[in-house]
Amino acid sequence: MPEVERKYVTPGELIAEGNYKSTSNVIRIRNKFYATKVGLAEISHEGIRVIPLTGPYIPRVDDLVIGKIVDFSAFSWEVDINSCFFAYLSAQSVFGKEFSPDRESLLKKFSIGDLIYAKVVAYDRTRNPLLSVSGPGLGRIPKGEVVRISPAKVPRLIGKKGSMIKTIESATNCKLIIGQNGIILMVGPPDGILLATQAIKMVESEAHLAGLTKNIQSFLSKYKEEQS
Amino acid sequence: MSAVKKSIVVEQLRKAQMIELLSKEKRLDNRGLMDFRPITIGIGVIEKANGSARVQVGNTQVIAGVKIEIGDPFPDTPDKGLLVVNTEVLPLASAYAEPGPPDEDAIELARVVDRGVRESHMIDLSKLVLIPGKKVLAVFVDVNVLNADGNLFDATSYATIASIATSKMPRYYINENGQIKQSDEIIPLPINGIPISVTMARIGDTLIVDPTSEEEAVMDARITLVLDEDGNLCAGQKGQPGTLTFDQVKKAMNIAKVKAKEIREIIKGEIMKDVRS
Amino acid sequence: MKELIDEKGLRIDGRRVDELRPLKIEVGVLKNADGSSYIEMGKNKIVVAVYGPKEVHPKHQALPDRSVLRCRYHMAPFSTDTRKPPQPSRREIEISKVIREALEPALILEEYPRTAIDVYLEVLQADGGSRCAGITASAVALADAGISMRDMVVACAAGKTSGQVVIDLNDVEDKEGEADMPIAIMPNLNQLTLFQLDGILTPEEFEKAFEMAINACRTIYDAQRKALMDKYFGKAEVGEE
Repeated sequence: MPEVERKYVTPGELIAEGNYKSTSNVIRIRNKFYATKVGLAEISHEGIRVIPLTGPYIPRVDDLVIGKIVDFSAFSWEVDINSCFFAYLSAQSVFGKEFSPDRESLLKKFSIGDLIYAKVVAYDRTRNPLLSVSGPGLGRIPKGEVVRISPAKVPRLIGKKGSMIKTIESATNCKLIIGQNGIILMVGPPDGILLATQAIKMVESEAHLAGLTKNIQSFLSKYKEEQS
Repeated sequence: MSAVKKSIVVEQLRKAQMIELLSKEKRLDNRGLMDFRPITIGIGVIEKANGSARVQVGNTQVIAGVKIEIGDPFPDTPDKGLLVVNTEVLPLASAYAEPGPPDEDAIELARVVDRGVRESHMIDLSKLVLIPGKKVLAVFVDVNVLNADGNLFDATSYATIASIATSKMPRYYINENGQIKQSDEIIPLPINGIPISVTMARIGDTLIVDPTSEEEAVMDARITLVLDEDGNLCAGQKGQPGTLTFDQVKKAMNIAKVKAKEIREIIKGEIMKDVRS
Repeated sequence: MKELIDEKGLRIDGRRVDELRPLKIEVGVLKNADGSSYIEMGKNKIVVAVYGPKEVHPKHQALPDRSVLRCRYHMAPFSTDTRKPPQPSRREIEISKVIREALEPALILEEYPRTAIDVYLEVLQADGGSRCAGITASAVALADAGISMRDMVVACAAGKTSGQVVIDLNDVEDKEGEADMPIAIMPNLNQLTLFQLDGILTPEEFEKAFEMAINACRTIYDAQRKALMDKYFGKAEVGEE
């Protein structure tokens, strides 16, 4: 394991001086490295980065997101993906090339207020994100409950190789679907959903703490003991 | 962090869940149909105002300030002081609020709150006359909505009455030369009693009190009833394009009677704390 | 001229010439906003909300290569001694502009092309130095929103009352004193982002005032940092995972 030095930082704070590589949320001025966000700074031989604790969701191609249909036109749906921009889902990508514009058929597929699980297939600095729902598991979300967390904390909720999410799923008998944009869908028994919501909120509020996985495990097992 | 449409679009799943829960007399935030969110009131938070109150109803947050100034009476009420209630839903209050002059919703809000205070005769305006027909005291109540999460009518109303009821001003008098002077004595406004506003929403066939913004986004109709100290109705307003049955109106009145009593206790308690200190 | 400093060298509110007024900063006070803060500095009470980055309306204001920063400084009608009409005055419009220009250098707006970032400042109660308190609070709200920043921005005024250089002028000192000089700086990068002067200072007084204002800004920066640390980290130890 590489030696990693960590500290809490706020924007503008000097993290380190020397010959490092800067990765994310860091600016370099000569040989000084400054944080650009509130977060946890990591200094290792691999470089310097800040894991932010707050911030907007910036889409990346191939991200899986949960979005809400908020509007539609003749050719596409407009989707709120909890980001700076609305995303678009083109009618052609859903109905195929032969599609001819028709309000009825658009609304029959997805109506306003529907949640969808979708993939970002295109996004750059010049245009709004484009979504696709072709792929296994993608499309309209028929049931379940939604909980929202700061998009900056999604990686923590997933955990190393999905360890955190697996821990919560097995203790609550819920299936969790995580949108990279901070929206999480829970499907399962009502008491499981309630417990999963609490666990997810706990991950969010304690994302910066040492021993988070252990804390979550003990929270979940305490609940199980009380039940049995 | 989100791009924003003109108004809230509630997720279909959430709407379905809300309606399902309502049929079991439950709500998304675990409240009963007739439960208000927690109400907290801070009085005297703005030292430069004659009176002020910061009110939170759940996540809805408003602040009211009272300024008492010398002004000219309206020609048709030369023997009465002035009361002006103004409300701004500030752009910082929600992603849906925009800078600019108050829109029709903000104006409706201010006018309904104003009516409750005026028609309940909370302030004895006839005691605010300095020189009859010429100079009177003008009571300006400005309410700023800082965070909008539904039921702005009641939050605004509670902030308004709490700030008026705890306002303090110098005693004004007319000297031998007929000039208006202030004495060192600090006195309250002439208060008769406080009106309490209770706002309800109809979603489907169910009436609920104190709707959140999410509930307001799916409600069919809204009704606000304001009750004075004697339990009499002194102002009211039905809002939104939906309708209410006659029975629903009667039921709303019965709910308002019960809730107004509870909330009057809370607000009076805060006012008395301020008076004693 | 009104005597604003007594024979013991104390100001009308009992402060020494280089002493700040009581300062309180809170983070995350408004649920709906993407970032928010509340500041009390003397009698100033200001709440700030940040919304964004978000799509720009009207669309023609959008820039292809960066975000558009918009600031609105507004005073509540009850914030001043005599009621202030709610519509924005020329003073509020100018202050909105200088606040925007004080904050903009610190923001990495290129990260958010074609978007807008709105900063709304509501002055609930005004005292001397409300623009400085507003800038200090805005930087905290922007950090709370997680907007990428080169540095924080922190502001404080220095000035001259009864012939002496003082910092952090209150309402009376601002109105009755000889000079008022609000500045804002980026405290780590050591750059000036706001400078205004209203009144007369000799070159020597200017140098002293500038120095004292910068030192005051550094003290206020510590309070900004502490407010953010308390909100995000509490008293926690650094994590090991």
